[in-house]
Amino acid sequence: MIIRAPKDFWSGIMFLCFAGVALYASSFYSMGRGGRMGPGYFPTLLGAVLAILGLILVVRSLVIRGDALEKMGWRPLLALVACVLLFAAMIQPLGLVIALSTTTFLASFAGPDWRLREAIFLSAGLTLAAVLIFVLGLRLPLPLWPSL
Amino acid sequence: MADVFSNIGLGLSVAASLQNLVYCMLGVLLGTLVGVLPGVGPVTTVAMLLPISFTLEPTSALILMAGIYYGAQYGGSTTAILINIPGEASSVITSLDGHQMARQGRAGPALGIAALGSFFAGCVATFIIAFGAPPLAKLALQFGPAEYFSLMLCGLVAAVVLARGSIIKAIAMVVLGLLFGLAGSDVNSGIRRFTFDMPGLADGIEFVALSMAIYGIAEVAINLERRQEEAKKVNAVGKLMPSGAELRACTPSILRGTFLGSILGVLPGGGALLAAFAAYTLEKKVAKPPRKFGEGDIRGVAAPESANNAGAQTSFIPMLTLGIPSNPTMALMIGALMVHGITPGPRVMTDRPELFWGVVASMWIGNLMLVILNLPMVGIWVKLLRMPYRLMFPMIVGFCCIGAYTINANVADIAVLAFFTCFGYLCLKLDCEPAPLILGFVLGPMMEENLRRALLISRGDPMVFVETPISIGFLLAAAGLLLVVAAPAIRRKREEAMAE
Repeated sequence: MIIRAPKDFWSGIMFLCFAGVALYASSFYSMGRGGRMGPGYFPTLLGAVLAILGLILVVRSLVIRGDALEKMGWRPLLALVACVLLFAAMIQPLGLVIALSTTTFLASFAGPDWRLREAIFLSAGLTLAAVLIFVLGLRLPLPLWPSL
Repeated sequence: MADVFSNIGLGLSVAASLQNLVYCMLGVLLGTLVGVLPGVGPVTTVAMLLPISFTLEPTSALILMAGIYYGAQYGGSTTAILINIPGEASSVITSLDGHQMARQGRAGPALGIAALGSFFAGCVATFIIAFGAPPLAKLALQFGPAEYFSLMLCGLVAAVVLARGSIIKAIAMVVLGLLFGLAGSDVNSGIRRFTFDMPGLADGIEFVALSMAIYGIAEVAINLERRQEEAKKVNAVGKLMPSGAELRACTPSILRGTFLGSILGVLPGGGALLAAFAAYTLEKKVAKPPRKFGEGDIRGVAAPESANNAGAQTSFIPMLTLGIPSNPTMALMIGALMVHGITPGPRVMTDRPELFWGVVASMWIGNLMLVILNLPMVGIWVKLLRMPYRLMFPMIVGFCCIGAYTINANVADIAVLAFFTCFGYLCLKLDCEPAPLILGFVLGPMMEENLRRALLISRGDPMVFVETPISIGFLLAAAGLLLVVAAPAIRRKREEAMAE
């Protein structure tokens, strides 16, 4: 088996995975009938369509030549996702000031050229701006400091 | 007739209130700014502002977001002309002739005609909305669930046809979007679907987190690996006013661009990008004498600039009258309205006239502001062009995190943000356009509801969808669009067009 169109192949696999999850989960919801659709009716329909489309993509990728995969840029992606998760972990116990300054400081690592002084000033400036705009200006219910 | 004018009067009184003027100004300023800055677009900005908009009046929120959307069309053309980097996708066409003009030392007239053409198109489009939307809404009020289902199907198909790349992938993305949209409590049975016992998903996937993940952070990840900071040579601007001869040459182009853009903007899946492209193609065919398009012909700037602005504005028509988003930005605005408890659709115009007409009137005011902002202040925007991306992206990340958290003060939404960042990145890497997914996500619950109701009325008989002429019309249009795209000859043309 030769994969002639890797991009299409892996797209197809991705859609098949989602279709599988959708069909599996929907099997627990009642289908109902056409005239009285149950909660499982529409998702099952969509899951089936998605599975067919995924299958077409996979089969076609074995026959028709297509684009090769691009190189994955792991560093920016993982750094950014890690920052987001870090923010999630910090916001409630530590408050906006600490969470945001840490997140934006570390986020600047994700880029190709990184400068320490710039990153410090940037994260300080952004945190100040965020406090002014979101907490003082818009009065959003954000904890500012660690709750003791 | 008199009705329309009294409505416009009502709209002006709403839009000209101090508060709304400020939001309109803020919107067009931000729009111009993100239009100028490469790497940040209106979709990202509107997504980042969603949580803020929830604290505003719905009318003010919509005025702000609309300002960002059409303001970005102005800003995008500035960078396209001056440094050949289209700040906005719809400005790609402008850079063809606009940048050539700049290299010949005629950057000023190019910017001038872009702003004047856009302003003219914006004014015309505002009137088209004012006159065209009410009859359409009246028609839509007669739609039953079957017609609505067919209409949404047609809209989604159109979105697929206009997506870049593979059509199968685009359809799959729509279906996946519909599925994501169904997560959470089912209105009819009360059953929680696709929550996998995670309390964070009980109310479904948070739309704001999903859109910020895809258009905010995943986009940053892609930009970071592709971007090489390069020295940008900015051409001198010079005097802005086009000469009389240039103005005369451009007038028919502006009229044609406005006309074409207004029509294409209304189509589902249409909007600024398609309008600009079609207008340029038309101009190359009909403009006489067919001088030097691509070598700095001022008409090659005037037509697409008018068209993209007209298209950006008329794309509000399907959103405000039918509740159907024609592009991702419109989908975000629908999401914003729904949070305020307003379901976009034909009833908005009768139930909340101040909202509908206020937004329409604000577009006209906003366009006036944009001309003032862009012509004399062009120097300031040019300076902003030099802002390096490494200073911008941590800001986007920080904003998205705060935004995702503040919607429900729920940490789970930030986790959703992280998950869909990975998903969005994967999609972009696999050439799966996210726009159809967003449209599907917004329409998912509505589509299921209308399908359910239609089949309930007909007692399960699927023939209900081909019983009324309107429903048949939508279904035929959808089938026709799919066939057209599937036909090999047209497919080749489309690929050429997209490649340009």
